[in-house]
Amino acid sequence: MSSPFDINGGACVAMVGKDCVAIACDLRLGMQALTVSNNFPKIFNFAPGTYLGLTGLATDVSTVSDLFRYKVNMYRLREERHIAPQTLANLVSSSLYERRFGPYFVSPVIAGINNTTGKPFICGFDSIGCIDFAKDFIVSGTASDQLFGTCEGLWEPDLSPENLFETISQALLSAVDRDALSGWGAQVYIIEKDKVTQRLLKGRQD
Amino acid sequence: MASIIGHNPHSNSIGYSFSQPTNAGNKEHSFYPYTDNGGSVLGITGKDFAVLAGDTRSTSGYNINSRYVPKVFKIGGDQETGEGAHILLSVVGFAADGLALKERLDAVVKMYKYQHGKPMSVRACAQRLSTILYGKRFFPYYVQAILAGLDEEGKGALYGYDPVGSYEREQCRAAGAASSLIMPFLDNQVNLKNQYIPGSGEGHALEAKKPEPMPRDTVEQVVRDAFTSAVERHIEVGDGLQMLIITADGIEEIYHPLKKD
Repeated sequence: MSSPFDINGGACVAMVGKDCVAIACDLRLGMQALTVSNNFPKIFNFAPGTYLGLTGLATDVSTVSDLFRYKVNMYRLREERHIAPQTLANLVSSSLYERRFGPYFVSPVIAGINNTTGKPFICGFDSIGCIDFAKDFIVSGTASDQLFGTCEGLWEPDLSPENLFETISQALLSAVDRDALSGWGAQVYIIEKDKVTQRLLKGRQD
Repeated sequence: MASIIGHNPHSNSIGYSFSQPTNAGNKEHSFYPYTDNGGSVLGITGKDFAVLAGDTRSTSGYNINSRYVPKVFKIGGDQETGEGAHILLSVVGFAADGLALKERLDAVVKMYKYQHGKPMSVRACAQRLSTILYGKRFFPYYVQAILAGLDEEGKGALYGYDPVGSYEREQCRAAGAASSLIMPFLDNQVNLKNQYIPGSGEGHALEAKKPEPMPRDTVEQVVRDAFTSAVERHIEVGDGLQMLIITADGIEEIYHPLKKD
Protein backbone atom coordinates (compact mmCIF):
# COMPACT_ATOMS: atom_id res chain seq x y z
CA MET A 1 0.00 0.00 0.00
CA SER A 2 1.20 3.49 -0.80
CA SER A 3 1.40 6.48 1.52
CA PRO A 4 -1.84 7.40 3.34
CA PHE A 5 -1.40 10.92 1.95
CA ASP A 6 -1.75 9.64 -1.64
CA ILE A 7 -4.70 7.23 -1.39
CA ASN A 8 -7.59 9.67 -1.88
CA GLY A 9 -5.80 12.44 -3.78
CA GLY A 10 -6.54 16.15 -3.71
CA ALA A 11 -4.87 19.54 -3.84
CA CYS A 12 -5.11 22.82 -2.00
CA VAL A 13 -3.41 26.22 -2.42
CA ALA A 14 -3.53 29.60 -0.65
CA MET A 15 -2.16 32.93 -1.91
CA VAL A 16 -1.68 36.45 -0.62
CA GLY A 17 -2.66 39.54 -2.61
CA LYS A 18 -2.96 43.26 -1.84
CA ASP A 19 -5.36 43.50 1.13
CA CYS A 20 -6.80 40.13 0.12
CA VAL A 21 -6.09 36.41 0.29
CA ALA A 22 -7.33 33.46 -1.73
CA ILE A 23 -7.66 29.77 -0.99
CA ALA A 24 -8.62 27.09 -3.50
CA CYS A 25 -8.99 23.31 -3.65
CA ASP A 26 -9.95 20.61 -6.13
CA LEU A 27 -13.10 18.50 -5.72
CA ARG A 28 -11.89 14.95 -6.36
CA LEU A 29 -12.22 12.06 -3.93
CA GLY A 30 -10.67 8.81 -5.08
CA MET A 31 -9.58 5.39 -3.95
CA GLN A 32 -6.19 4.99 -5.61
CA ALA A 33 -6.91 5.40 -9.36
CA LEU A 34 -10.70 5.05 -9.03
CA THR A 35 -12.63 8.30 -8.68
CA VAL A 36 -15.43 7.93 -6.13
CA SER A 37 -16.77 11.49 -6.01
CA ASN A 38 -16.35 14.76 -7.85
CA ASN A 39 -17.93 16.81 -5.09
CA PHE A 40 -15.58 16.62 -2.10
CA PRO A 41 -14.59 20.17 -1.09
CA LYS A 42 -11.50 20.42 1.10
CA ILE A 43 -11.93 23.97 2.40
CA PHE A 44 -13.83 24.70 5.61
CA ASN A 45 -15.00 27.99 7.10
CA PHE A 46 -14.25 28.68 10.78
CA ALA A 47 -14.99 32.40 11.11
CA PRO A 48 -15.94 35.22 8.75
CA GLY A 49 -12.87 35.53 6.50
CA THR A 50 -11.02 32.59 8.07
CA TYR A 51 -10.70 29.34 6.12
CA LEU A 52 -8.93 26.01 6.62
CA GLY A 53 -8.01 23.72 3.71
CA LEU A 54 -7.27 20.06 4.40
CA THR A 55 -5.72 17.56 1.99
CA GLY A 56 -4.55 14.03 2.63
CA LEU A 57 -6.40 10.95 3.85
CA ALA A 58 -10.12 11.71 3.31
CA THR A 59 -11.27 10.09 6.56
CA ASP A 60 -8.83 12.33 8.44
CA VAL A 61 -9.92 15.37 6.41
CA SER A 62 -13.48 14.78 7.67
CA THR A 63 -12.40 13.92 11.22
CA VAL A 64 -10.03 16.86 11.56
CA SER A 65 -12.49 19.36 10.09
CA ASP A 66 -15.17 18.11 12.52
CA LEU A 67 -12.70 18.30 15.41
CA PHE A 68 -11.83 21.89 14.60
CA ARG A 69 -15.49 22.82 14.16
CA TYR A 70 -16.01 21.60 17.71
CA LYS A 71 -12.91 23.33 19.06
CA VAL A 72 -13.60 26.64 17.28
CA ASN A 73 -17.24 26.59 18.47
CA MET A 74 -16.02 26.09 22.06
CA TYR A 75 -13.54 28.95 21.58
CA ARG A 76 -16.29 31.27 20.31
CA LEU A 77 -18.60 30.41 23.21
CA ARG A 78 -15.87 30.98 25.80
CA GLU A 79 -14.40 34.11 24.27
CA GLU A 80 -17.61 35.55 22.76
CA ARG A 81 -15.74 36.54 19.60
CA HIS A 82 -14.61 34.97 16.31
CA ILE A 83 -11.29 33.16 16.12
CA ALA A 84 -8.47 35.01 14.34
CA PRO A 85 -6.54 33.17 11.60
CA GLN A 86 -3.33 33.37 13.67
CA THR A 87 -5.10 31.86 16.68
CA LEU A 88 -6.55 29.11 14.49
CA ALA A 89 -3.04 28.42 13.21
CA ASN A 90 -1.75 27.88 16.74
CA LEU A 91 -4.80 25.75 17.58
CA VAL A 92 -4.20 23.58 14.52
CA SER A 93 -0.50 23.29 15.33
CA SER A 94 -0.94 22.24 18.97
CA SER A 95 -3.85 19.90 18.14
CA LEU A 96 -1.81 18.10 15.48
CA TYR A 97 1.26 17.85 17.71
CA GLU A 98 -0.90 16.19 20.38
CA ARG A 99 -0.99 13.25 17.95
CA ARG A 100 2.81 13.37 17.43
CA PHE A 101 3.25 9.59 17.38
CA GLY A 102 0.02 8.67 15.61
CA PRO A 103 -0.68 11.61 13.38
CA TYR A 104 -3.69 12.56 11.30
CA PHE A 105 -2.57 12.16 7.69
CA VAL A 106 -3.50 15.68 6.61
CA SER A 107 -1.62 18.73 5.27
CA PRO A 108 -3.60 21.77 6.43
CA VAL A 109 -3.56 25.24 4.89
CA ILE A 110 -4.99 28.38 6.51
CA ALA A 111 -6.02 31.58 4.71
CA GLY A 112 -7.74 34.58 6.21
CA ILE A 113 -7.75 38.26 7.01
CA ASN A 114 -7.21 39.26 10.63
CA ASN A 115 -10.28 41.16 11.75
CA THR A 116 -8.44 43.45 14.19
CA THR A 117 -5.31 44.24 12.16
CA GLY A 118 -6.94 43.90 8.73
CA LYS A 119 -3.79 42.10 7.51
CA PRO A 120 -3.88 39.10 5.16
CA PHE A 121 -2.58 35.85 6.67
CA ILE A 122 -1.74 32.45 5.20
CA CYS A 123 0.14 29.48 6.57
CA GLY A 124 0.61 25.77 6.04
CA PHE A 125 1.45 22.79 8.26
CA ASP A 126 2.96 19.34 8.07
CA SER A 127 0.93 16.48 9.54
CA ILE A 128 2.38 16.95 13.04
CA GLY A 129 1.77 20.67 13.25
CA CYS A 130 4.97 22.41 12.18
CA ILE A 131 3.81 25.81 10.86
CA ASP A 132 5.07 27.25 7.59
CA PHE A 133 4.45 31.01 7.65
CA ALA A 134 4.73 32.14 4.04
CA LYS A 135 4.45 35.65 2.62
CA ASP A 136 3.52 34.48 -0.88
CA PHE A 137 1.70 31.15 -1.19
CA ILE A 138 1.16 27.76 0.44
CA VAL A 139 0.52 24.51 -1.43
CA SER A 140 -0.53 21.05 -0.25
CA GLY A 141 -1.80 17.72 -1.54
CA THR A 142 -0.79 15.18 -4.18
CA ALA A 143 -0.29 17.97 -6.76
CA SER A 144 2.03 19.98 -4.47
CA ASP A 145 5.05 19.64 -6.80
CA GLN A 146 3.00 20.88 -9.73
CA LEU A 147 1.52 23.68 -7.60
CA PHE A 148 4.98 24.81 -6.52
CA GLY A 149 5.91 25.13 -10.20
CA THR A 150 2.80 27.01 -11.31
CA CYS A 151 2.61 29.27 -8.25
CA GLU A 152 6.30 30.14 -8.40
CA GLY A 153 5.85 30.99 -12.08
CA LEU A 154 2.55 32.89 -11.97
CA TRP A 155 2.41 34.61 -8.57
CA GLU A 156 3.55 38.19 -8.07
CA PRO A 157 3.29 40.59 -5.12
CA ASP A 158 0.31 42.92 -4.49
CA LEU A 159 -2.26 41.30 -6.79
CA SER A 160 -5.75 42.83 -6.80
CA PRO A 161 -8.65 40.53 -5.81
CA GLU A 162 -9.58 40.02 -9.49
CA ASN A 163 -6.01 39.25 -10.55
CA LEU A 164 -5.48 37.06 -7.48
CA PHE A 165 -8.53 35.01 -8.47
CA GLU A 166 -7.19 34.55 -11.99
CA THR A 167 -3.71 33.66 -10.71
CA ILE A 168 -4.79 31.11 -8.12
CA SER A 169 -7.31 29.56 -10.54
CA GLN A 170 -4.80 29.17 -13.38
CA ALA A 171 -2.17 27.85 -10.96
CA LEU A 172 -4.53 25.26 -9.49
CA LEU A 173 -6.17 24.11 -12.75
CA SER A 174 -2.86 23.75 -14.60
CA ALA A 175 -1.34 21.89 -11.64
CA VAL A 176 -4.17 19.39 -11.13
CA ASP A 177 -4.28 18.65 -14.87
CA ARG A 178 -0.78 17.15 -14.47
CA ASP A 179 -1.77 15.08 -11.43
CA ALA A 180 -3.89 11.97 -11.95
CA LEU A 181 -5.12 12.02 -8.34
CA SER A 182 -6.42 15.60 -8.33
CA GLY A 183 -8.88 17.67 -10.35
CA TRP A 184 -12.53 17.12 -11.33
CA GLY A 185 -13.45 20.75 -10.69
CA ALA A 186 -12.29 23.30 -8.16
CA GLN A 187 -13.54 25.70 -5.51
CA VAL A 188 -12.00 29.15 -5.03
CA TYR A 189 -12.51 31.64 -2.17
CA ILE A 190 -11.38 35.25 -2.58
CA ILE A 191 -11.26 36.85 0.86
CA GLU A 192 -11.28 40.63 1.22
CA LYS A 193 -12.00 42.67 4.33
CA ASP A 194 -15.77 42.31 4.99
CA LYS A 195 -16.29 40.40 1.70
CA VAL A 196 -15.82 36.82 0.60
CA THR A 197 -16.42 35.60 -2.97
CA GLN A 198 -16.83 31.88 -3.57
CA ARG A 199 -16.49 30.54 -7.12
CA LEU A 200 -16.87 27.05 -8.56
CA LEU A 201 -14.55 26.14 -11.44
CA LYS A 202 -15.42 23.35 -13.84
CA GLY A 203 -11.96 22.42 -15.10
CA ARG A 204 -11.21 19.18 -16.95
CA GLN A 205 -13.53 16.34 -16.03
CA ASP A 206 -10.95 13.58 -16.39
CA MET B 1 36.34 -15.27 38.46
CA ALA B 2 39.22 -15.12 36.00
CA SER B 3 38.79 -18.78 35.18
CA ILE B 4 35.15 -18.24 34.24
CA ILE B 5 35.99 -15.38 31.86
CA GLY B 6 39.03 -17.07 30.36
CA HIS B 7 37.32 -20.34 29.66
CA ASN B 8 35.29 -20.62 26.45
CA PRO B 9 32.54 -23.16 27.16
CA HIS B 10 32.03 -23.95 23.40
CA SER B 11 35.58 -25.07 22.62
CA ASN B 12 36.90 -28.34 24.08
CA SER B 13 39.67 -26.44 25.85
CA ILE B 14 42.05 -26.63 22.86
CA GLY B 15 41.00 -23.14 21.63
CA TYR B 16 40.54 -23.96 17.91
CA SER B 17 38.21 -25.97 15.68
CA PHE B 18 38.20 -27.45 12.16
CA SER B 19 34.43 -27.26 11.73
CA GLN B 20 32.99 -24.34 9.73
CA PRO B 21 31.32 -21.69 11.83
CA THR B 22 27.58 -22.26 11.44
CA ASN B 23 26.29 -18.79 12.33
CA ALA B 24 28.41 -16.72 9.93
CA GLY B 25 25.43 -15.08 8.14
CA ASN B 26 25.65 -14.76 4.35
CA LYS B 27 26.57 -11.26 3.25
CA GLU B 28 24.54 -9.98 0.34
CA HIS B 29 26.61 -8.14 -2.20
CA SER B 30 25.03 -5.82 -4.71
CA PHE B 31 25.98 -3.50 -7.53
CA TYR B 32 23.64 -0.83 -8.80
CA PRO B 33 24.92 0.57 -12.07
CA TYR B 34 22.74 3.70 -12.14
CA THR B 35 22.92 7.07 -10.36
CA ASP B 36 20.49 9.95 -10.56
CA ASN B 37 22.47 13.07 -11.40
CA GLY B 38 19.45 15.39 -11.08
CA GLY B 39 18.93 18.52 -13.11
CA SER B 40 16.22 19.47 -15.55
CA VAL B 41 15.89 20.24 -19.23
CA LEU B 42 13.18 21.85 -21.29
CA GLY B 43 12.46 22.41 -24.97
CA ILE B 44 10.07 24.74 -26.79
CA THR B 45 9.52 25.12 -30.54
CA GLY B 46 8.70 28.24 -32.47
CA LYS B 47 7.74 28.93 -36.08
CA ASP B 48 11.26 28.74 -37.48
CA PHE B 49 13.36 27.82 -34.46
CA ALA B 50 13.62 25.46 -31.52
CA VAL B 51 15.03 26.11 -28.06
CA LEU B 52 16.56 23.44 -25.85
CA ALA B 53 17.68 24.47 -22.38
CA GLY B 54 19.03 22.76 -19.29
CA ASP B 55 20.56 23.70 -15.97
CA THR B 56 24.25 22.90 -15.53
CA ARG B 57 24.28 21.45 -12.01
CA SER B 58 25.33 17.84 -11.53
CA THR B 59 24.37 16.14 -8.27
CA SER B 60 24.53 12.80 -6.55
CA GLY B 61 22.30 12.62 -3.52
CA TYR B 62 22.74 15.85 -1.55
CA ASN B 63 26.20 16.46 -3.02
CA ILE B 64 26.97 18.78 -5.90
CA ASN B 65 29.51 17.15 -8.23
CA SER B 66 29.92 20.19 -10.41
CA ARG B 67 28.30 23.52 -11.20
CA TYR B 68 28.97 23.23 -14.92
CA VAL B 69 28.16 19.94 -16.61
CA PRO B 70 26.21 20.65 -19.81
CA LYS B 71 23.16 18.50 -20.52
CA VAL B 72 22.36 19.91 -23.97
CA PHE B 73 24.50 18.82 -26.91
CA LYS B 74 24.98 19.60 -30.58
CA ILE B 75 24.65 16.48 -32.74
CA GLY B 76 26.43 15.84 -36.01
CA GLY B 77 28.94 18.68 -35.80
CA ASP B 78 32.65 19.12 -35.25
CA GLN B 79 34.00 17.23 -32.20
CA GLU B 80 35.39 20.34 -30.48
CA THR B 81 33.41 23.31 -31.77
CA GLY B 82 30.15 21.58 -32.72
CA GLU B 83 30.29 23.52 -35.99
CA GLY B 84 28.02 22.15 -38.71
CA ALA B 85 25.59 20.54 -36.28
CA HIS B 86 21.92 20.76 -37.21
CA ILE B 87 20.33 18.76 -34.39
CA LEU B 88 20.22 19.27 -30.62
CA LEU B 89 19.95 16.56 -27.98
CA SER B 90 19.36 17.00 -24.29
CA VAL B 91 19.65 14.16 -21.82
CA VAL B 92 18.76 14.16 -18.13
CA GLY B 93 18.90 11.39 -15.57
CA PHE B 94 22.07 9.30 -15.35
CA ALA B 95 24.79 11.55 -16.80
CA ALA B 96 27.14 8.72 -17.87
CA ASP B 97 24.38 7.07 -19.90
CA GLY B 98 23.44 10.47 -21.29
CA LEU B 99 26.97 11.07 -22.48
CA ALA B 100 27.20 7.57 -23.99
CA LEU B 101 23.88 8.08 -25.77
CA LYS B 102 24.96 11.45 -27.12
CA GLU B 103 28.25 9.99 -28.44
CA ARG B 104 26.38 7.15 -30.12
CA LEU B 105 23.78 9.36 -31.77
CA ASP B 106 26.50 11.76 -32.87
CA ALA B 107 28.37 8.89 -34.57
CA VAL B 108 25.17 7.68 -36.23
CA VAL B 109 24.36 11.14 -37.63
CA LYS B 110 27.92 11.53 -38.94
CA MET B 111 27.96 8.07 -40.55
CA TYR B 112 24.64 8.86 -42.20
CA LYS B 113 26.15 11.96 -43.79
CA TYR B 114 29.24 10.10 -44.99
CA GLN B 115 27.19 7.25 -46.46
CA HIS B 116 24.31 9.22 -47.99
CA GLY B 117 26.06 12.48 -48.82
CA LYS B 118 23.36 14.58 -47.14
CA PRO B 119 22.58 15.56 -43.57
CA MET B 120 20.18 13.37 -41.62
CA SER B 121 16.70 14.86 -41.25
CA VAL B 122 15.45 15.50 -37.71
CA ARG B 123 12.56 13.09 -38.38
CA ALA B 124 14.95 10.30 -39.30
CA CYS B 125 17.21 11.11 -36.39
CA ALA B 126 14.22 11.03 -34.03
CA GLN B 127 13.24 7.54 -35.24
CA ARG B 128 16.87 6.37 -35.02
CA LEU B 129 17.17 7.63 -31.43
CA SER B 130 14.05 5.66 -30.53
CA THR B 131 15.60 2.51 -32.05
CA ILE B 132 18.86 3.09 -30.16
CA LEU B 133 17.00 3.46 -26.86
CA TYR B 134 14.81 0.41 -27.48
CA GLY B 135 17.92 -1.57 -28.42
CA LYS B 136 18.79 -1.42 -24.76
CA ARG B 137 15.26 -2.31 -23.66
CA PHE B 138 16.46 -4.71 -20.94
CA PHE B 139 19.43 -2.64 -19.69
CA PRO B 140 18.23 0.85 -20.55
CA TYR B 141 20.04 4.14 -20.90
CA TYR B 142 18.67 5.71 -17.71
CA VAL B 143 17.81 9.01 -19.36
CA GLN B 144 14.94 11.14 -20.51
CA ALA B 145 15.94 12.58 -23.87
CA ILE B 146 14.65 15.53 -25.87
CA LEU B 147 15.65 15.99 -29.50
CA ALA B 148 15.29 19.31 -31.33
CA GLY B 149 15.96 20.73 -34.76
CA LEU B 150 14.21 22.08 -37.84
CA ASP B 151 11.94 19.82 -39.89
CA GLU B 152 11.82 19.45 -43.71
CA GLU B 153 9.68 22.61 -43.96
CA GLY B 154 12.06 24.63 -41.76
CA LYS B 155 9.67 24.64 -38.80
CA GLY B 156 10.87 24.02 -35.26
CA ALA B 157 10.70 20.34 -34.35
CA LEU B 158 10.87 18.80 -30.88
CA TYR B 159 10.71 15.14 -29.87
CA GLY B 160 10.33 13.86 -26.31
CA TYR B 161 11.42 10.33 -25.23
CA ASP B 162 11.07 7.95 -22.33
CA PRO B 163 14.12 5.84 -21.32
CA VAL B 164 13.19 2.93 -23.61
CA GLY B 165 12.42 4.84 -26.79
CA SER B 166 8.72 5.70 -26.71
CA TYR B 167 8.57 9.09 -28.41
CA GLU B 168 6.30 11.85 -29.65
CA ARG B 169 6.66 15.15 -31.52
CA GLU B 170 5.55 18.03 -29.31
CA GLN B 171 5.47 21.83 -29.04
CA CYS B 172 7.10 21.81 -25.62
CA ARG B 173 8.45 19.34 -23.10
CA ALA B 174 10.14 19.45 -19.70
CA ALA B 175 12.16 16.52 -18.38
CA GLY B 176 14.21 15.62 -15.33
CA ALA B 177 14.06 16.33 -11.61
CA ALA B 178 11.89 19.45 -11.80
CA SER B 179 9.74 18.35 -14.74
CA SER B 180 6.71 18.05 -12.44
CA LEU B 181 7.17 21.73 -11.52
CA ILE B 182 7.90 23.03 -15.01
CA MET B 183 5.49 21.05 -17.20
CA PRO B 184 2.17 22.43 -15.82
CA PHE B 185 3.60 25.95 -16.12
CA LEU B 186 4.43 25.24 -19.77
CA ASP B 187 0.94 23.79 -20.39
CA ASN B 188 -0.46 27.09 -19.17
CA GLN B 189 1.93 29.57 -20.78
CA VAL B 190 2.88 27.83 -24.06
CA ASN B 191 -0.17 25.71 -24.91
CA LEU B 192 -2.52 28.18 -23.14
CA LYS B 193 -4.30 25.36 -21.30
CA ASN B 194 -7.23 26.45 -19.08
CA GLN B 195 -7.25 29.85 -20.79
CA TYR B 196 -10.45 31.05 -22.47
CA ILE B 197 -11.43 34.09 -24.50
CA PRO B 198 -13.42 36.39 -22.19
CA GLY B 199 -17.01 36.99 -23.30
CA SER B 200 -16.84 34.45 -26.13
CA GLY B 201 -19.81 32.44 -24.81
CA GLU B 202 -22.32 31.90 -22.05
CA GLY B 203 -21.30 30.24 -18.79
CA HIS B 204 -18.99 27.29 -19.36
CA ALA B 205 -19.36 27.42 -23.17
CA LEU B 206 -16.37 29.73 -23.58
CA GLU B 207 -14.05 29.42 -26.53
CA ALA B 208 -10.58 28.17 -25.60
CA LYS B 209 -7.55 30.27 -26.53
CA LYS B 210 -5.66 28.67 -29.40
CA PRO B 211 -1.93 28.28 -28.91
CA GLU B 212 0.16 30.01 -31.56
CA PRO B 213 3.90 29.73 -32.11
CA MET B 214 5.62 32.26 -29.88
CA PRO B 215 8.31 34.74 -30.97
CA ARG B 216 11.86 33.90 -29.96
CA ASP B 217 12.33 36.51 -27.23
CA THR B 218 9.08 35.41 -25.56
CA VAL B 219 10.19 31.78 -25.64
CA GLU B 220 13.55 32.68 -24.09
CA GLN B 221 11.76 34.61 -21.33
CA VAL B 222 9.42 31.69 -20.60
CA VAL B 223 12.42 29.34 -20.40
CA ARG B 224 14.22 31.67 -17.99
CA ASP B 225 11.07 32.04 -15.85
CA ALA B 226 10.55 28.28 -15.78
CA PHE B 227 14.09 27.67 -14.58
CA THR B 228 14.26 30.48 -12.00
CA SER B 229 10.99 29.08 -10.59
CA ALA B 230 12.37 25.52 -10.53
CA VAL B 231 15.59 26.70 -8.85
CA GLU B 232 13.58 28.26 -6.01
CA ARG B 233 11.84 25.01 -5.12
CA HIS B 234 14.06 22.14 -6.27
CA ILE B 235 17.44 21.48 -4.71
CA GLU B 236 18.81 19.53 -7.69
CA VAL B 237 18.34 22.43 -10.09
CA GLY B 238 20.57 25.51 -10.18
CA ASP B 239 24.01 27.03 -10.83
CA GLY B 240 23.59 27.89 -14.52
CA LEU B 241 21.18 27.82 -17.43
CA GLN B 242 22.48 26.69 -20.80
CA MET B 243 20.17 27.56 -23.67
CA LEU B 244 20.76 26.38 -27.25
CA ILE B 245 18.67 27.95 -29.99
CA ILE B 246 18.60 26.34 -33.42
CA THR B 247 17.52 28.39 -36.46
CA ALA B 248 18.16 28.18 -40.20
CA ASP B 249 21.30 30.30 -39.55
CA GLY B 250 22.76 27.76 -37.15
CA ILE B 251 22.96 27.16 -33.42
CA GLU B 252 23.33 29.91 -30.86
CA GLU B 253 24.35 29.25 -27.27
CA ILE B 254 23.33 31.44 -24.34
CA TYR B 255 24.48 30.97 -20.75
CA HIS B 256 22.69 32.53 -17.80
CA PRO B 257 23.84 32.21 -14.19
CA LEU B 258 21.27 30.73 -11.82
CA LYS B 259 21.28 30.72 -8.02
CA LYS B 260 24.08 28.52 -6.62
CA ASP B 261 22.43 27.68 -3.24
